[in-house]
Amino acid sequence: MRPGSALPWKSLSSQSLGRALDSLPSRSNRLMEGKSKQEDASPTMALAAQLICGITLVGTYVVAPSALSTDLVSDPTRTLRLFWLTLVPVVVILFGLFRQNRGRTSLLRAVGRGLLALPAGAIVNALGAVVLGAPVHVKYLPGTVEWSLMMSTMNFVPAASVFGASWSNWQRIFAFTKPNSWIDIMICVPAHGAVVGAWFGAWPMPLDWDRPWQEWPICVSYGAITGYLVGLAASCSYILLRSRHQWHVKSE
Amino acid sequence: MSGGSPDGKSQTKTMHPTLIFLSVLVLHVVSILIFTRGFLLARTELPFHSDCSDVSSCPCYDSGVESGSFNGTSRDGAFRGCWTKPVVGKIVIIVLDALRFDFVAPSSFFEEKKPWMDKLKVLQKLAFNERSTARIFKAIADPPTTSLQRLKGLTIGGLPTFVDIGNSFGTPALAEDNLINQLINSGKRVVMMGDDTWVQLFPQHFVRSYPLPSFNVKDLDTVDNGCIKHLFPSMYEEDWDVLIAHFLGMDHAGHIFGVDSAEMIEKLEQYNSVLEKVIEVLESQSGPGGLHENTLLLVMGDHGQTLNGDHGGGSAEEVETSMFAMSPKRSLPFIPPEIETPYEFDSENRVQISTFQQLDFAVTVSALLGIPFPFGSIGRVNLELYALAAGNWSMEESEVDPGQNYLSSEMWLHDYVQVLCTNAWQVKRYIDIYSASSMIGFSSDDVSLLSNAYVKAEKMYLKAMNALASQSDPGDTFVTHLKSSIDAHAEFFSRVSELARSKWTEFKLGMMGLGLGIMLFSLLFQYFAIRRVIKIFGKTSHKVSGDSGISFGSLFACFLVAIHATSLLSNSYLVEEAKVATFLLATVVFVKFKHSMVKMKMFYEVGAFLFLVLVLRFAIYVGLSKQAGVTTLLSSGSWIIGINEAYSTIIVELIPFVALIFLAYLLYRATASGIVLGISKAIVVKAIFCYVLIAVHWASENGISNLAFKKTGRTLIPRIIYAIGLGELLLLAFGKLGEVGVTDCRERLLNRTVCMLSTWSSTVILLSGRQGPLMAIASIIGGYCIMKLQNAGEDNGVSLIADPLSVVEWSLLAVIMFFSTGHWCAFDGLRYGAAFVGFDEFALVRQAILLTIETFGFSHIIPIFGLPFLVLGNNLIFRTNQPRKLVTLCLTQVYLMYGLIMATTVTVTIICVTIQRRHLMVWALFAPKFVFDVVGLLLADVLICFASLYYHLLDKTERPQDPASKS
Repeated sequence: MRPGSALPWKSLSSQSLGRALDSLPSRSNRLMEGKSKQEDASPTMALAAQLICGITLVGTYVVAPSALSTDLVSDPTRTLRLFWLTLVPVVVILFGLFRQNRGRTSLLRAVGRGLLALPAGAIVNALGAVVLGAPVHVKYLPGTVEWSLMMSTMNFVPAASVFGASWSNWQRIFAFTKPNSWIDIMICVPAHGAVVGAWFGAWPMPLDWDRPWQEWPICVSYGAITGYLVGLAASCSYILLRSRHQWHVKSE
Repeated sequence: MSGGSPDGKSQTKTMHPTLIFLSVLVLHVVSILIFTRGFLLARTELPFHSDCSDVSSCPCYDSGVESGSFNGTSRDGAFRGCWTKPVVGKIVIIVLDALRFDFVAPSSFFEEKKPWMDKLKVLQKLAFNERSTARIFKAIADPPTTSLQRLKGLTIGGLPTFVDIGNSFGTPALAEDNLINQLINSGKRVVMMGDDTWVQLFPQHFVRSYPLPSFNVKDLDTVDNGCIKHLFPSMYEEDWDVLIAHFLGMDHAGHIFGVDSAEMIEKLEQYNSVLEKVIEVLESQSGPGGLHENTLLLVMGDHGQTLNGDHGGGSAEEVETSMFAMSPKRSLPFIPPEIETPYEFDSENRVQISTFQQLDFAVTVSALLGIPFPFGSIGRVNLELYALAAGNWSMEESEVDPGQNYLSSEMWLHDYVQVLCTNAWQVKRYIDIYSASSMIGFSSDDVSLLSNAYVKAEKMYLKAMNALASQSDPGDTFVTHLKSSIDAHAEFFSRVSELARSKWTEFKLGMMGLGLGIMLFSLLFQYFAIRRVIKIFGKTSHKVSGDSGISFGSLFACFLVAIHATSLLSNSYLVEEAKVATFLLATVVFVKFKHSMVKMKMFYEVGAFLFLVLVLRFAIYVGLSKQAGVTTLLSSGSWIIGINEAYSTIIVELIPFVALIFLAYLLYRATASGIVLGISKAIVVKAIFCYVLIAVHWASENGISNLAFKKTGRTLIPRIIYAIGLGELLLLAFGKLGEVGVTDCRERLLNRTVCMLSTWSSTVILLSGRQGPLMAIASIIGGYCIMKLQNAGEDNGVSLIADPLSVVEWSLLAVIMFFSTGHWCAFDGLRYGAAFVGFDEFALVRQAILLTIETFGFSHIIPIFGLPFLVLGNNLIFRTNQPRKLVTLCLTQVYLMYGLIMATTVTVTIICVTIQRRHLMVWALFAPKFVFDVVGLLLADVLICFASLYYHLLDKTERPQDPASKS
C-alpha cells in the first residue's frame, strides 16, 4: 500500500500547497544564493509594491463617489473603467520594475507587454465569465468589457509584465500554483484571490432580492475586488512572516 | 448493513451490488411514499352526479312545509325548479382574469390611492348608488390560484388540490360533477367566449363557443377583442341561458408589465367601457317582457395577482379578487339586521363590502337558476347574492306597500332557509359518500362531528318551519327562528369547509418528518456502502489505498454537491437551477483546464467541453425564454423548430438530419473498428436503421415529402421503433449477446454499454423531436470529455478508484441536459406532444411511459446507462491481475456515488419543500420541483438496479474463472 498514491489533485490540496509554501524559504534561499539572486525582489520592495496596489484600488474606491460622483452600483461601467485605468499604470510600472532578465529587457518593454496583455487577458476573462453564465445581452456588453479589463489588470497584466511570454513561468504560477519567489507570490496570490472572489461574487446574482447591486457585473466586481484585496493582504502577511523568519535564520 | 463477514466476502461480492441498490430503492420508495402522504394533498374525484330526482330523499321537502304553504302568494303557480325555485332566468358571467380586489373596490378602502384604482368606475357607481340593485363583493379564492384550478373550483364548488386523482390525466376535461354539467342536464343553454381553458374543461358542453388561445401571454388584445366581438351580438340573441365571457388581457398585462403600468390601466379603462355597454344593453332590455327582464349580471375575477402580475400561491393579493353582481330587480332587498353578515367599511364608514367565498359560487348560481347543486360542491348558498337576486321578487308581484318590508323579507328568507336546508343535505351527502368511497377519506371522528352539526341544523330548520306553519306570531319571532336556523346551518357549513380545507390544503407534519428521516437514513446507508466498497477495493488490490481520501478531488466534489444541494433551499436558485448547474460544471471544467495545463495535454478535450457548456448554456436560455412565454415563435415543439419558424431556412431544417447522419456514422465507426461483435453488431446496425426511420418519420411530418405513406410515416414508423427498442432491450437483458468469444473484460463492458445506449438512443431521440440528435451528440461529447479528463489532476499516474469529481461532473451534465432539452420543473414543462408520437388515441399507461421516457431520457436514462464509460476510461484498471473484480467494484462505486449525489439533492429538495410549505410559491414552484425530483430519483434508482444487474452478469457467468485467475 502506498498511502497517498490514490490522492488526485495532490498538487492543489491545501496540505500540498502548504507544503509547497513550506519549502519556499529554502528554495528562495537557494535562488538567492544562485545566479538569479538579483532577479527576485527584496521582501521590503515586494511589500511596498503590494501596498501601493492595494492603496490605489482602495483609494479609487473611496474617492470615486465623492470626487467623480460615481460608484459601482449607480454606474458600474464608468466606475470599473476608473478602477482599471488607475490600477493599470501602477501595476504595469511596479511589476515592470520586477521584470525578469532585467539585463536584457528594458522597463519600457515590460510596460509594453503588460499593456498588450491587458486586452488579451480581458478576452480570456470575459470568455470564462460567459461560460460560467454571464449574460451576453447587448445591454450588458459595456459592463462585461470593463469588468474583464479590470480582472485582466488583476491577474494577467502583472504576470505579463514580469514574465512576458515565458510559458514555464506562467505554468508555474497558474497551473501548478507553486510560487518560487517573492515575485511569484505577489503575482499568484492576488490573481487567484480576484478570480475566486469573483466566483463567489456571482452567487447572489440569481436571488430575488431585487437589489440594484445584484446586476451583472456589480456583485461580481465587488467579489473580485474583495478577493484581490484579501489576496494582497494574504501575500503581504506571508511575505512579512517569511522574511522575518528568514532574517532570523540569517542572523543565526 | 452492506457488510458480510470477511470470509463470506467472495460469496457476497457478486450478489451485493444489486442488493445494495435494491435496498436503497426500497428505502427511497418508503420514505417518499410517507412524505408524499403528508405533503402532496390529494383528493379523489367522485364519479357521481346530482340529479333532479335526488331531492326526493331530502328531508327539507317532506316536512310538510312545502313552499306553497307560505300563503298569500301565488308562487306555486310559477314553474318549479328542480331542487329550488329559480329566481333568475338568465345569467351573464363576465370573468376578468386576475382581477385584483383593489381594481374594483373604491380607493377609499385602502390606505393610499394607487394609479390602478377606481378605474372600473361604472361598477362603483352602480354598487354604491342609493337606489341601485348592484353590489360589490370581496371574493376569496382558494389556492392554488391558477386559472385552470380556479375554474375547476368555481364550477365544482370544491377545493381543487394539487393532485386531483381521477381519470382526467392528459385530457383536462372535467369529469367531476360541476355547474356547467348541471346546467346542460337541466336543459339550460350555455354560450362561452374567451379563454380556451373553458373549452378544454368542458369540450362538449357549450351551445356556442368562441374559444381564443390563452397561451400567448404577450398578446394583450386578441382574446379580449374576440370576446367583445362576440359578446354584444350574443347579448341580443335568445339562444342562451348562461353567457360566459372570459377576458384575459388583464392577466397578460400583469404578467408582462406588472400592475403598475400604463398597459394595465389601459386594459382597465377598456373593460370599464365594455362593462358600461353591457350594462346599457341589459338595462335597455330589462323592461317587462324584455329579453333581459330577469337577467343577473356577474362580473368576477378568477383570482387576484401580485403587483408583479404573478399568481398561483395563497398570499392575500393573489387570493383576494372581486365580484360585482347586478340584479335585474328594481331595488335592493331588505335584509333584516339580525341576519346580516359582517361588512368591511371603508375609511369614511360610507361604503360597505361583504365577503364572498368562491367556494360558494357554484351552489349559489345553481340555487339562483333552480338546478341541482353539483355533487361535489361543499359551498353554501350565499345570503347576500341570493337576496340580491331573489330579494324582492314577491314584492313586485303582490304589490305590497313599501312599509311592509318585514313581510317581504320573510318571503325570500323563507325560501333562502329552505334552499340552505337542501344545500346542507347535499353537502352532507357528498361528505358521507366521499368518506365511504375514497381511500383517503375523512376520519370517522370528523364525520360524526359533522353529523351532529347537521342534525342540529335540521332541527332548527324544522322548528322554524313549524313556527311558520302554526302562524302563531308572525314578524319578529319568525325572523328569530329563521335566524337560528341560518346560524345552525352556517355552523355546519363552516365545519365542512374547515374540515375540507384541513384535509385538502393542510399538511401532516409527522408523516413529512418521518419520510424525511428515512431519506436521511438512506443517505447514510449509501455513504457507508461507498466506504465499504472502497475498503473492499483496498483489500482486493494492493495498488489502492484503503482510505478513500481527503484528497482535493473528493473534497471539491463534496463541495460542489453541497453547493448544488443547498442552492435548492432558496426559491430563486430553484428557478435558476439550470444556471447553477452550468456555473458549477463550468467551474469544474476550469479546474480541469488548470490540470491539463499542468500536464500539457488534453487541451482539445477541455476546449470541447468548454464549448459544449457554452452551447448548452444558450440552449437552456432558449428553453427558459420559452417557459416564460416570451418568445412565442419558439413555442411549439423544440427550439430547433422554433428557430426554423423564425428564419424559415432550409439549413436549420436540415441540421437534425445531418446530426442524425453523424450519429449513425459514429455508431458505424464503432462497429467497424471491431469493438462490437456478434449480435451486438446487429443491434448497432439496427440502431442505425432506426435513425433512418426517424429521418423518414420527420420528413413525412414536415411535409418535405408528399408521399402516400404520410399517414404510415406518422404512426407506423414510431411504433416500429418502439417495438425494435423493446425487443432489443429484452434481447440484451436475457440474451447472451454473442460474447462467447470475448474474454477481454474491457471489451465486454464497452460492448454492453454501447449496445444499451444505442438501444435506448433511437427511442429517446424520436421522442425528443428535432433537438434529439443534437442533444445526443452533445451527450456523447460531454461524456467523452468527462471520461478523458478524469484523474487529470493526478500527480502520479491514474488512480484505480473512480474519481468522485467525474461522477459529480456526470450528474451535473445530466441536470443540464434536462434543462437544455427544453424541460423545466413544472407540469406545463412536460411535452405532452411526445406522448402521442406514433399514437393518436389516449391510453394512460402507454402515454405515461412515453412521456416519462421523453422527460427523463437525456437526463436520467442515457447518463445512467452510460456511466460505465467512466470505468472504461480508466485504462489502468484493466491492466491489473484481476480486472473483472476490480471493474465490478469500480462500477458499483460509481453507481453508488451517482445515486448518493442524486439522493442528496432530492433530500434537500424535500427539506426545502418542508420548510417552504407555507410559501406562496409552494404550488407553483416547490411542489412541481418535488414531484419531478422524486420521480427522477425513483426512476434513477430503478435504472441503477437494472444497470448493475445488466453490467454485472459479466462476473456471474465468468465466476468459475475467478479463482483460476487468482491462483
